[in-house]
Amino acid sequence: MLEVRDLKKYFSGIKAVDNVCIDVRKNEIVGLIGPNGAGKTTLFNAVTGFTPTTGGKVAFEGFDITALKAHEVARKGIIRTFQTPWGFPRMTLLENMLVFLKGTDAGFWSALMRSKKVNTITADTKDKIIRVLETLALDKKRHDWVQDLSAGELKLMEIARALMAEPKIFLMDEPAAGINPAMQGTLIQLIRDLRMEGGTFLVVDHNLKFICDICDRIYVMSDGRLLCEGPPDRVVCDKSVIECYIGNN
Amino acid sequence: MTGLSIFLIGVLSLGAIYAILCLALNLEAGIDGLWDLGLVSFFGVGAYTYTLLTCEPAGAGQHYLLGLGLPMWLGVLAAGAMGALIACLIGLPSLRLRKEYFLITTLAFAQVLQQIYANELWLTNGVAGIYGLPQPLKDYVSPSFHTYAIFTMLLIAVAVAYFLVQRLTLSPFGRRLKALRENENLAMTAGINPFSYHLCSYAAAGFLSGIAGSFYVWYNTLVVPGQFSANITFFVWTAVIIGGLGNNRGALLGGFLFMLINDLLRFLQVSSEMALVLTSLKTSLIGMILILILRLKPTGLCGERKEIIDL
Repeated sequence: MLEVRDLKKYFSGIKAVDNVCIDVRKNEIVGLIGPNGAGKTTLFNAVTGFTPTTGGKVAFEGFDITALKAHEVARKGIIRTFQTPWGFPRMTLLENMLVFLKGTDAGFWSALMRSKKVNTITADTKDKIIRVLETLALDKKRHDWVQDLSAGELKLMEIARALMAEPKIFLMDEPAAGINPAMQGTLIQLIRDLRMEGGTFLVVDHNLKFICDICDRIYVMSDGRLLCEGPPDRVVCDKSVIECYIGNN
Repeated sequence: MTGLSIFLIGVLSLGAIYAILCLALNLEAGIDGLWDLGLVSFFGVGAYTYTLLTCEPAGAGQHYLLGLGLPMWLGVLAAGAMGALIACLIGLPSLRLRKEYFLITTLAFAQVLQQIYANELWLTNGVAGIYGLPQPLKDYVSPSFHTYAIFTMLLIAVAVAYFLVQRLTLSPFGRRLKALRENENLAMTAGINPFSYHLCSYAAAGFLSGIAGSFYVWYNTLVVPGQFSANITFFVWTAVIIGGLGNNRGALLGGFLFMLINDLLRFLQVSSEMALVLTSLKTSLIGMILILILRLKPTGLCGERKEIIDL
């Protein structure tokens, strides 16, 4: 589904991502781990069109998306979250979710000529929004301005927002960071449920337990390069991975 | 009809024209986050378009293009259309720039347009301008009620402008503009193309400002390049900030309030020397009021409100 081939991203001689190849197949949960500065977020930025690549190719469902801009990548069905949660601060949580709602007619002329449809949220969508808000325990915050939410709530809101877009693939950058352990369990269950419904995930996180709990395969990056790849039980026992995380002493 | 009421209606008529400009600025800056310092470009283009299309051909000693004598309503629509067109032409290169660069570029374009009005004699009659332009309804309403009639028409125009801008603001389109204002990169991850949305809001602001320009001709019965200096843009910004950036009601309130503050100083019973001093201090006084409002109510008199959506 998502193919990254020999991807390079250099910043004036610094090889942030160097010849990285990654495959994510449909309905798979793939993890991407590595120490700080390994190049995971840069890889995300390159895949989602936030930063131009130095070389290599990114293909999604057979289409070359290497040169696409961020909004064009998003329209292909790739939705990402961010390491530091982002929101639209002076908009309510619900408004934040509705910005991402799939199938919204947000054209200028539709707004001006407003047929009833334009501002109407269908019953199905309402049910979906309520279900997501309840699952993520954000129900009581729906009318709060996002600038008033805590860091943990922002992380959950990012996930709620991504769900509104009904993406073909979720690219999650440290989704469990800042979320309390009880909610992490809910998040794991949510990701599993979404996979049952056909969802595909590429997840970056530092929390090895979280990654091992949900992922089918894990890629490990260090210094911009791929260190190893495989199922969680094999990767966590890999000598090079242990070395890169806790040193060789 | 007393002199005072005529004067007051005159001030409120100008307030109505400013209110339309404020709504336009609020759409592009308050909702969409475009820091436009060239709003007067569309205002001026609208005024000249209206004039050249509706006035009679140039007489002896005058030079200007067209003078087609078209009906006024057609002139008003053409003024709006030309405002939107100029917005698109200015927007094509400048909307790709970052905030600060966009701000400077729009200011520069406004200055260029003012120089064109002043120096292209064949087009606009240069600094002499075009005088004695007719007002609508002159033949249908008695002279004593004509000022009221114009004011009523302007109020209707303000109501229509408010209705349209409010409709845009509360729609999914408006929600996406707000998203772009708040965080453009994040908005892109929702599949929003910043350029096309910015261009739409910028052109809509151009349309409204162009129409306001044609109303300005009704009010003044003349057009001269000096009317379209950068001051207009700064006055409108001041009015919107006083009213509340991001709130259409605030923009309306700001437009009228600014004009009242600006012109009601004339009612102060002071000596002629003091009146002279007050006139020259008027802009400073408005600046002080702006600072005071920002100190006491940083979001303006009617700051942006939460949009409560019922599920």
